[in-house]
Amino acid sequence: MTEPTAPAEDAAAYIARVRAEIEADAERRRRQEPEIQRREREIERAWIDVAPPGAAGEQGELLLDRADRLSMIDVDAPLGAKPGVRHVKGTIRKATYWYLRYVTDQINALSNVLVRLVRRMDERLDGVEAAVGTGALDALIDPVAEPGQAVAEAVAAVVPTDGTVFVGAARAGALVAPIHARGQGVHGVDRDPIAILPGVRGGLDLRSGDPVEHLASSEPGSLTAIVLAGFVEDLGPTAVWTLLGDVTAALDGTGTVVVVTTDPADRDPVERDLRAGRGLAPATWAHLLERAGFAAETVAVDGDDRIDTIVVGRLG
Amino acid sequence: MRVHHFTATLSPRDAVGYHTLAVDDLLRDMGHDTTLYAQSIHPDLASRARDYRDHAGDPAADVLLYQASTGSPVADHLLGRPEPLVLDYHNLTPAEAFDPWEPHIGAELDAGRRQLARLARRAVAAVADSQFNADELIALGLDDVRVAPVLFDPPDPPDRAAGGPPTLLFVGRLAPNKRQQDLIAALAELRRHRPEARLTLIGAPSSARYEDALRAFAESVAPGAVEFAGSVPYADLVASYGTADVFVCLSEHEGFCVPVIEAMGAGLPVVARAAAVLPETVGDAGLLLSDPGPSEVAAAIDQVLDDPHLRAAMAERGRIRAATFAPERAAQIMRRALGSILEALA
Repeated sequence: MTEPTAPAEDAAAYIARVRAEIEADAERRRRQEPEIQRREREIERAWIDVAPPGAAGEQGELLLDRADRLSMIDVDAPLGAKPGVRHVKGTIRKATYWYLRYVTDQINALSNVLVRLVRRMDERLDGVEAAVGTGALDALIDPVAEPGQAVAEAVAAVVPTDGTVFVGAARAGALVAPIHARGQGVHGVDRDPIAILPGVRGGLDLRSGDPVEHLASSEPGSLTAIVLAGFVEDLGPTAVWTLLGDVTAALDGTGTVVVVTTDPADRDPVERDLRAGRGLAPATWAHLLERAGFAAETVAVDGDDRIDTIVVGRLG
Repeated sequence: MRVHHFTATLSPRDAVGYHTLAVDDLLRDMGHDTTLYAQSIHPDLASRARDYRDHAGDPAADVLLYQASTGSPVADHLLGRPEPLVLDYHNLTPAEAFDPWEPHIGAELDAGRRQLARLARRAVAAVADSQFNADELIALGLDDVRVAPVLFDPPDPPDRAAGGPPTLLFVGRLAPNKRQQDLIAALAELRRHRPEARLTLIGAPSSARYEDALRAFAESVAPGAVEFAGSVPYADLVASYGTADVFVCLSEHEGFCVPVIEAMGAGLPVVARAAAVLPETVGDAGLLLSDPGPSEVAAAIDQVLDDPHLRAAMAERGRIRAATFAPERAAQIMRRALGSILEALA
C-alpha cells in the first residue's frame, strides 16, 4: 500500500465523520439486507460449535454461570509450595496426569453437555414465557375490581352464620365486612399488601399473602366457609381443580364454598384479549364443584353491573 | 525515603515487568532508596529483585509500593504490613471472560478482584494507568488516585512496506477478554469482498482451550487466512507493524493497551471497539466502533483500505496520539504523581 496523501480537512474531524458514516451505513444495510444478519448468524453458529457453554454471549444468568464454573474440573493441581514439596507434587502429578486427564475430559464433556442442555431449556422457557406474556400484559388491564355492596350482601346471605370464614382474595375487605359486622369470625388474604390497607384500618382481619397457599396450609376442619373471588379469574382449569382439592381438605367434609367471578362471555373485548387467564363461567364452576363432591347451585345477584351470578357449593 | 517496591511477576518481556523496572529506576533517580520484591523473578532479573517472602522481617520501609495487576500472595503479604501502602494499578481482567474457558483462572481473577477491594481500602494513595483504571479504584473507595501512563519503550517506527495482501494485525495474548474470535469473524466478512485479506495474531495463549477454539473457528470461517504467530522476537513484532495495513483491536476489556499505542506510533491505522479503556487510549486517532458486529468491523476496515485520505488522517492523528505516551513525557507524569504522593507521606 502506498503512503496516502494528507486529507483536505482537519484529520480528527475527518476520522469522526467517516466513523459516523460507517456506523450509519452499517445500520442502514443491516435493516435493509437480511442477508447480512443471516451471514452473521452463520458465523456466530460456527463459533458456538467450537466454544464451551457460556462463551458465546449467552452468559448472564447467575445460576447458569455458576453451573458453568462448577461443571469444569481442572486436572492441573496447583504446585505453589516450598521447593521440596513442589518436587514431590510434580512427580506425583506426572505419574497420574495421563489417567486424570482421561477421566477429567470425560467428566468435563458430560458436564458441558448438561450445562448446554440446561441453557437450551432456559432459552425455551424464556420463549414460552415471552409467548404467554403473563407479566407484561397485567399492566395493560385494570385489576379485578372490588365486588360491590350487592355482591357482598349476597355472599354473606349464603355463608353459614357459625364458624370461621375465609375470603381470598380479600382486596379492601368488601366481602369480609358484612360477615364481620354480624360478629362472626372472618379473615381475608390478598397478595397485594397495599390493597388491604383501607380494610385493615377499618378493623377487618385482612392479611397479606397468597390465598392459595393460605388455603393449602389451613388446618382441616378449621373453616366453615370459603369465599373465592378475584384471583380465581386468572386461574386455568388445572389450577382450579387443584384449588378445589385444597378447599375440600380445608372444609374437611362439612362447609360451604362461594365463588364470586365474572362470566368470561360478559367481558369487554380488551379484557378478554389481554387477561392472563381466560377464566371460567359460573356454570363451569358449578360443574366442577359437583365433580368435586359439592352440592352446587348458582345464585342470582341483582344490582351489580359486573357480577350477576355467584356459585355456591355445599359439603356434608 | 525508603520504598519497598512489590510486584507479583518480574519479567523483562512483560509490560508490567518493564514498567516496574522503569518505576524503580525513576524512584532511584528521584533520590529514594528502593528495594524491589517479587513472587516470581525471571532469571535474567535475579540481581534486580528479592523474593517477597524475604521481606517479612524487614521493617525498614517508610512506604510500600505495589504493582497491582493480578491476584497474588504478595498482596496478602502487604495487607498484613503496617507501613503506608501505595498502589500502581494496571487493572484486572474480569473473571467472567475466563469462566467458560479456564475456570481456575476465573477463580484466581475473582480472588484477585476481592484482594483489590481490600488493597483499595488499605492503601493511602494510588497511581493508575488510565482514568478507566482510576475510576475502578475510586469506586472501591480510594480517594487519592493519580493517573500516569504505563512506562514502556516504544519501538522505532518501522518502514512501511508496500504491496502484499491486505493484512490485519492484532497484538495481545490469546485471551477471551481480547475477543480474537470477533477479529476472525470480521475477517470472514471482509473476505467476501477481499478474498485475499489476512489476519495476523501475535501473542502467546492465556488458555490452550481458547486457542484451540480460535484455530478451529478460523479454519471454519476463514480457512488458511489467519496466522497464529504466537510470542515473537521483538524485531519481528516491530516489523509486523510495518507490514500490516490495519491494526484491529476488538477487546472487551483492556486496562491500557500498549500495542494500540505502538501501532499508532508506527503510523498504522487503528480500528477498535469502543470498550473499556480503548476510547481513552485511542482518543480521536482511530475508528472506534460501538458494539460492532462483523459487518461493521469489515466495513470500517474496508473504508480504511479504500480511502487514502482516511489512512493519512489516521496516521497523522495516531502519531500525535502516540507521542502523548512517549517515554520522557510518561516518566515526567509518573515522577510528578509518585513525587507528590511520597512527599505527602514524608
